[in-house]
Amino acid sequence: MDFNKILLVLKREYLTRVRTKSFILSTLLTPLAFLAFMAIIVVVTISDGEVTKTVGIYDETGVLYSRLVEIDSIRYQNVSQLEIDSIRADVLSGGIDGYVVLSDAFIETSESPTLVYGGSGGLSFIESVEDHLREVVREERLSRSQVSPEVREIFESRPQLKSVKLTEEGEEEDNAVFGAAFGFILGLLIFIGVFGYGALLMRGVIEEKTSRIVEVIASSIKPIELMLGKLFGILALAVTQFGVWIASYIGLSVIAAPVAGMIVNAQLQNLPEDAREAAANNAFDPSALEQFVVDPSIFLYFFLFFFIGFLIYAGIFAAIGSAVDSEQDTQQFMMPVMIPIFIGYFLNLRVMENPDSTVSVIASLFPLTAPINMISRIAATEVPFWQIGLSLLLMIGTFAGLMWLAAKIYRVGILMYGKKPSYKELAKWIRQG
Amino acid sequence: MVIINVENVTKTFGTNTAVNDVSFEVEKGRIFGLLGPNGAGKTTTIRMINNILAPDTGQININGHVASPFTQKMIGYMPEERGLYKKMKVGEQLLYLTQLKGMKTSAAKKSIDFWLERFEASDWKKKELGELSKGMSQKIQFIATIAHDPDIYIFDEPFSGLDPINSETLKEVIIELKEQGKTILFSTHRMEQVEQMCDDICLFNKGKAVLQGKLREVKASFGKNTINLEFEGDGAFLDKLEDVRINNRSTNFAEIRVLNGQSMQEILKLAMEHAEIHRFERVQPSLNEIFISTVGEDNIKTVEA
Repeated sequence: MDFNKILLVLKREYLTRVRTKSFILSTLLTPLAFLAFMAIIVVVTISDGEVTKTVGIYDETGVLYSRLVEIDSIRYQNVSQLEIDSIRADVLSGGIDGYVVLSDAFIETSESPTLVYGGSGGLSFIESVEDHLREVVREERLSRSQVSPEVREIFESRPQLKSVKLTEEGEEEDNAVFGAAFGFILGLLIFIGVFGYGALLMRGVIEEKTSRIVEVIASSIKPIELMLGKLFGILALAVTQFGVWIASYIGLSVIAAPVAGMIVNAQLQNLPEDAREAAANNAFDPSALEQFVVDPSIFLYFFLFFFIGFLIYAGIFAAIGSAVDSEQDTQQFMMPVMIPIFIGYFLNLRVMENPDSTVSVIASLFPLTAPINMISRIAATEVPFWQIGLSLLLMIGTFAGLMWLAAKIYRVGILMYGKKPSYKELAKWIRQG
Repeated sequence: MVIINVENVTKTFGTNTAVNDVSFEVEKGRIFGLLGPNGAGKTTTIRMINNILAPDTGQININGHVASPFTQKMIGYMPEERGLYKKMKVGEQLLYLTQLKGMKTSAAKKSIDFWLERFEASDWKKKELGELSKGMSQKIQFIATIAHDPDIYIFDEPFSGLDPINSETLKEVIIELKEQGKTILFSTHRMEQVEQMCDDICLFNKGKAVLQGKLREVKASFGKNTINLEFEGDGAFLDKLEDVRINNRSTNFAEIRVLNGQSMQEILKLAMEHAEIHRFERVQPSLNEIFISTVGEDNIKTVEA
């Protein structure tokens, strides 16, 4: 095997593709899309707290309004002195966003009050009014029943669950939900990478065949050298793209929380003094973005599993490309490739939900699904080292076996034109080699 | 000196024996023609010489070395089905293909520039191949074949699909290369080109080499058994002739191959009775006639296909 020639093929494959507009755009736009996504989350949450809607309270009880004002002095306005008709006119003209008539029945019999609103209601607006009314009605009832302060405290206490992960290094804060979701996304990325770049490799092989340049190249280098050069050229291309994405993810995730904090603070400064506190309570908590920061070692695993996963499938993609004359003819041969890779993709949801189940362990060891499912598990849970090692060994063995078969099909296929071969003929090619 | 030595080579695909125990030698500094109908095994033989396929049995030696990646560097090969990368710039493409043949970058660039200049194609260097016309890309294909300055040039059906200007250019280049002491092997089924250019020939039929040697000697061995007849008048009398084969027939010319000892004087007599004879000449058979008589008339149609 002549490595200089493999390198020449690799360089051509990489350089001609890395300069294409579509590659540059998809590489750069994805981090921008991610940035835009984070920005939208921040902006939406901030502006949500910013818009204050006003609700007129027609208070027949004489006690509930004052409690509501304690919760939100801007939203709730006393309209008890007005006629219902003029309140309705006010809602329609946009003077207030809605009104509620509060009668004693709500306190005494748990009857539900009605919020009448104009324009857009909005789910969170209605929910918060509901929360506030529930709270004031409950408090009023408690004080009417003259319950002891102890009982009151019981009602006011809101126990929450805090989760802490125990590792060799001790306890650390961990977000299992985020870990699972992140693992799923990494698995998805490997799925997309193996499939997308595998298909790109296959199209490249078909293109060389249909443009007939392959015979010129075959008179200069061995088919296996051509195939390996193409394969690693595409792999380098994929690693470039994922590298850019991951680097920008790491960068964005590190600066996201501080930057969002600055934006939130700046927004709060612009609000009038009395609204600031209420807005701050409702506003988005920038430190929530800190959970996006992940241990960079996961990315090393990501590249390792993508690397081997791609190699397992890429040989087959190249062999399929060599066996046919056009992309339409590939379908028949794509099935055996698609089935395991899609099984891996669908199992990934299960792995995300339950990374330590038997199904997840098997899926992460079986070499055809391991590239997708093992990375998800590593991100979501603590995978024993022997499982990672075994998975890698099985994958490398599979890669070697499949590549050996693929190379045999490839060297015969690239010079065959005409009828689409059957599986039987492919087997014959393998025996011939 | 023998530069290509094909020795008892056989190649089978499944049940089809494409090349059956073929042997021939190509002398250095000569133009060697590989003739034969389609499917005779020419392309398979050429691919084995280029080490694209390996023979099942037998051996191929190039310049004293068994065909291998090493010998590939000594050969410039233009396949019958020509092709280049459509979306790659001409200059980069030529550099890539020349480097694949093992030439160093700087030498490759120099050689590519020389040939682009020679074919008046320097302006296309920065263009993608897809932007060029068919005739232009044919020129680029020649350059891709010869830029690494090999000792041996192999063209599979080089003139098929070429426009007349490129056809002429290629002929000039081949003669030029021969003058530099290079060896050229090409396959064709167009006999007039072989007669004009080849020193030696090897005729293939059904996977076998059925006739080979120096072109002049091959022709001489058939003797002066052919009549070139030029006449004026009704040519219908030609149809009455027996034991002859008429090639190259037109309204006032016929090339008549005399078979089975048919008397030439009888033919002349008959001709004089029906038409005015301008020329009656005994000559060596044309290569076309040799080709047909060797391969058999049954195969003529496949030749034309």
